[in-house]
Amino acid sequence: MKKEADLSIDFCGVRFENPFCLSSSPVGNHAEMCARAYDAGWGGIVFKTLGLEKSFKVIMPSPRLSIFNNFDKRFVGLQNAEQITDRPILDNIKDIKWLKKNYPKKVLISSIMGYVDEDWSDLAKMSQDAGADLLELNFSCPQMAHKTAGHRTGQDFHAVASFTEVVKKACTIPVIAKMTPNITDMIPVALAAKEGGADAISAINTIRAITDIDINNFTPLPNIRGHSSPTGFSGPSVKPIAMRFVSELYNSKPLNLPISAIGGIETWIDALHFLLLGATNLQVSTGIMRYGYRIVEDMIEGLQDYMMERNIQSLDEIIGKAARKIVDPSEFNTRFQVVSVVDETKCIGCGQCYISCMDGANQAMEFNKETRKVFVNEERCVGCLLCKHVCPVWDCISYKEVDTNEMKHAAIF
Amino acid sequence: MKKAIEPDNIFQFKCMREPLTLQDAIRESNRCLLCFDAPCSNGCPAGTNPGRFIRQIKFYNYKGAARTIRQNNILGSICAFVCPVEKLCEKECSVKALEDPINISGLQRFATEYGKQFNLEPLPKSTKKKGKIAIIGCGPAGMGCASKLAKLDYDVTIFERETKAGGVPLWNIPEFRLPEFALTYDVDNLLSQGVDIRYDTFIGSVEAVKTMLSDGFQAIFISTGLSEAFKLDMYTGYNNALNYISFLRKVKFYRSSFDLKNKNIAVIGGGSVAIDSAVSAKACGANKVYLLSLEQMEELPADVEEIHLARTMNIIFKAGCQITTVIAKEKTITGLTGTEVEWIENGKFSPSNARRIEGTAFSINVDLVVQAIGTKPGLEIAKFSKDLKTKGKGIIEVTEFFETSIAGVFAGGDVTNGGMTVVQAVREGKKAAASIDTFLKNGGHKS
Ligand SMILES: Cc1cc2nc3c(=O)[nH]c(=O)nc-3n(C[C@H](O)[C@H](O)[C@H](O)COP(=O)(O)OP(=O)(O)OC[C@H]3O[C@@H](n4cnc5c(N)ncnc54)[C@H](O)[C@@H]3O)c2cc1C
Ligand SMILES: Cc1cc2nc3c(=O)[nH]c(=O)nc-3n(C[C@H](O)[C@H](O)[C@H](O)COP(=O)(O)O)c2cc1C
Ligand code: SF4
Repeated sequence: MKKEADLSIDFCGVRFENPFCLSSSPVGNHAEMCARAYDAGWGGIVFKTLGLEKSFKVIMPSPRLSIFNNFDKRFVGLQNAEQITDRPILDNIKDIKWLKKNYPKKVLISSIMGYVDEDWSDLAKMSQDAGADLLELNFSCPQMAHKTAGHRTGQDFHAVASFTEVVKKACTIPVIAKMTPNITDMIPVALAAKEGGADAISAINTIRAITDIDINNFTPLPNIRGHSSPTGFSGPSVKPIAMRFVSELYNSKPLNLPISAIGGIETWIDALHFLLLGATNLQVSTGIMRYGYRIVEDMIEGLQDYMMERNIQSLDEIIGKAARKIVDPSEFNTRFQVVSVVDETKCIGCGQCYISCMDGANQAMEFNKETRKVFVNEERCVGCLLCKHVCPVWDCISYKEVDTNEMKHAAIF
Repeated sequence: MKKAIEPDNIFQFKCMREPLTLQDAIRESNRCLLCFDAPCSNGCPAGTNPGRFIRQIKFYNYKGAARTIRQNNILGSICAFVCPVEKLCEKECSVKALEDPINISGLQRFATEYGKQFNLEPLPKSTKKKGKIAIIGCGPAGMGCASKLAKLDYDVTIFERETKAGGVPLWNIPEFRLPEFALTYDVDNLLSQGVDIRYDTFIGSVEAVKTMLSDGFQAIFISTGLSEAFKLDMYTGYNNALNYISFLRKVKFYRSSFDLKNKNIAVIGGGSVAIDSAVSAKACGANKVYLLSLEQMEELPADVEEIHLARTMNIIFKAGCQITTVIAKEKTITGLTGTEVEWIENGKFSPSNARRIEGTAFSINVDLVVQAIGTKPGLEIAKFSKDLKTKGKGIIEVTEFFETSIAGVFAGGDVTNGGMTVVQAVREGKKAAASIDTFLKNGGHKS
């Protein structure tokens, strides 16, 4: 019989039955949606960012989405021009109360965004009173129509530190600061949040980007009555960048705060990647927008099987395991180099590796037009493995290692 | 992604369908649209839920996919090989509106084999805390019923007259369509649920069934299938006229002593089993193989895919003809003569409706005749029938809940539907299990 691996986590002293949460976005717009997400198996939700309409009335533009396509692969990334919630604060607070009453064991994180100190403290108090388990401070929405809110706050260390402090004074529940990736180095901002008293960091919010342009009327998309703007980009395309930020946060010794990772998670393997880079908690939006809440079932089952197969008792055993392998490029071992190895029995003779090596590497691949087979000239191969990455047969090209103390290699001249 | 039929494989009795590699499975599952209210799932009679297991494959949850398949359909591995998917799940696939449908059977096979390769935990054992149930016949219907009952924590015993489990898929479906490992996988899963199979146990009368009821079995499910092949009088008494049941069984289990090299074979019939017989004969080295049917080419009940296979194997179709005389030397048939026919009344496919066409007489030399013109339940069913209501030809009559005319006795599969498919038999077994559960919850039979 199947014994289940334990996916529960402790994040800022709060127990989650599993680390999978909705991130703040339309996927957690209101109580009925969040309830269905809980029912589908999500361990927690971050409610759509609350704001106070008396300070700033949000009006969403439409159309508000555009997608990034790569040939037949559609939706490899999503651009949105959406702001924080446009619902009245009291409706949202009512929803949070209802959710905590009906799902006491599930975690509810209230995401908030203020414009002045008073907003932040009011929203924090109201959320805590409604039963929220944690707070997430949205320092990162890149398309607020309000000129000093969102990622503009998130780029200003002092604002981050002082708003965090205001919130910490107003409430007792743990506080997560959500970072913007629209900055060169995230660590100083995260440290500012820590200075203000933040208990954890979440990253990333969306990356400002332009996904598409209508080439007939010269308007970038989404075309909002003839105009557009570089707005928040998310989904699978941003995962590599999110992974970098998460590993940097985890590896920062002065920071040393728990991390909630966000950015392009769709499968248990994506989730595992972030755990290995140091995240304890995980959040998802675009994956749900594309496929629905149901994807959590495969995240749970897939991660559990992974753990069972390797006899991993709890997620603590793997968190940060890959982050520890990250070093500065100056520390790479270059004595050992590799050369490409083609499995001739699997080669289908398309010559893609040949083209790529010719025009994008070191002209080490030879192509026999008679037999339509390729051959690696080991004296020229620099071991970049571009050939392996372009090969349409996934397990055809591999590599072998060369100790340059003993043998010549094209990478060292 | 579906591979073309390879005659070479058939000659070597290797499986016709090539398995999907991991790369194939990833690409194929990523063509899936992950539809709302998945039509493919609605198209599977046994409720295997392809919509769910394809999604699981897409999201790299391969073991989850294997779990979905076997918990919904205990014959999930067999079905991946033998289901006529183009008439079931794949027929409903939304992708068809855009391009080729998803190769659902390929993905189903991929998932089950992945589970096996990576040590998927066994299915939970029945706690047996609910009542004792007897099942007669360990074919698809019996196995489907047993698995569901075990899941509901019943104590299940299957009585099987043969020495192995599997029914028709085991004995009759040719190896090049259904390799043995596929069947073993499903039978092993059933056994891990704690179902007891008593082999070599023939239940031959209604009295035996009634004794079971008084012996502590609280309900009985009859799933004995069809074991009597129809025979034509003109071929009786000859030593080289077989029916397809015994022919296919010989090919499958006694092939080494069944050399058809340089022999000419005549298969009578135009359905799927006739094609299986003809192709098997060819695979055993036969010289000429004729497929003789009353139906015209376009009327053949066999699937287009099967007809294509037979053509690839150079089977000679003689459609729209009737054999008129047998030429024999003593007890051995040496040839057949016949004529072409046309239907007297359109759309009535019966011998009495066929009219011979003048001047079309032909004769062929044959060394073996295989009759593949249908089956009915075995004789023992006739004995059941004294108390059991039948629809004639021994087909047991059941309600929509698979109850027979005897309280506490249920039936399903070929023996009630007259012969359909493996997946339909599993469906009926599962439905009957649910009815048995309801029946027992309501107090069972009063005696
Ligand atoms: C040649 C051939 C090819 C086929 N190909 C396909 C295909 O490709 N795809 C598909 O979906 N379907 C196919 N079918 C149909 C399919 O095999 C049947 O619909 C299915 O096996 C019916 O299952 P069942 O459990 O009702 O009966 P069976 O499979 O006939 O099983 C009945 C079982 O009961 C046992 N039994 C019978 N009488 C007794 C008794 N008195 N006491 C104890 N045990 C008894 C038998 O030994 C057998 O094990 C094919 C059928 C044939 C003949
Ligand atoms: C349509 C949309 C609306 C969003 N709204 C918010 C928001 O109100 N508050 C917030 O903190 N993040 C918001 N985000 C950002 C997401 O929470 C998340 O950080 C980002 O999309 C990256 O994760 P993903 O790739 O899983 O979507 C939004 C994202 C999208 C796509
Ligand atoms: S997704 Fe729903 S809300 Fe959005 S445009 Fe389509 S129908 Fe309207």
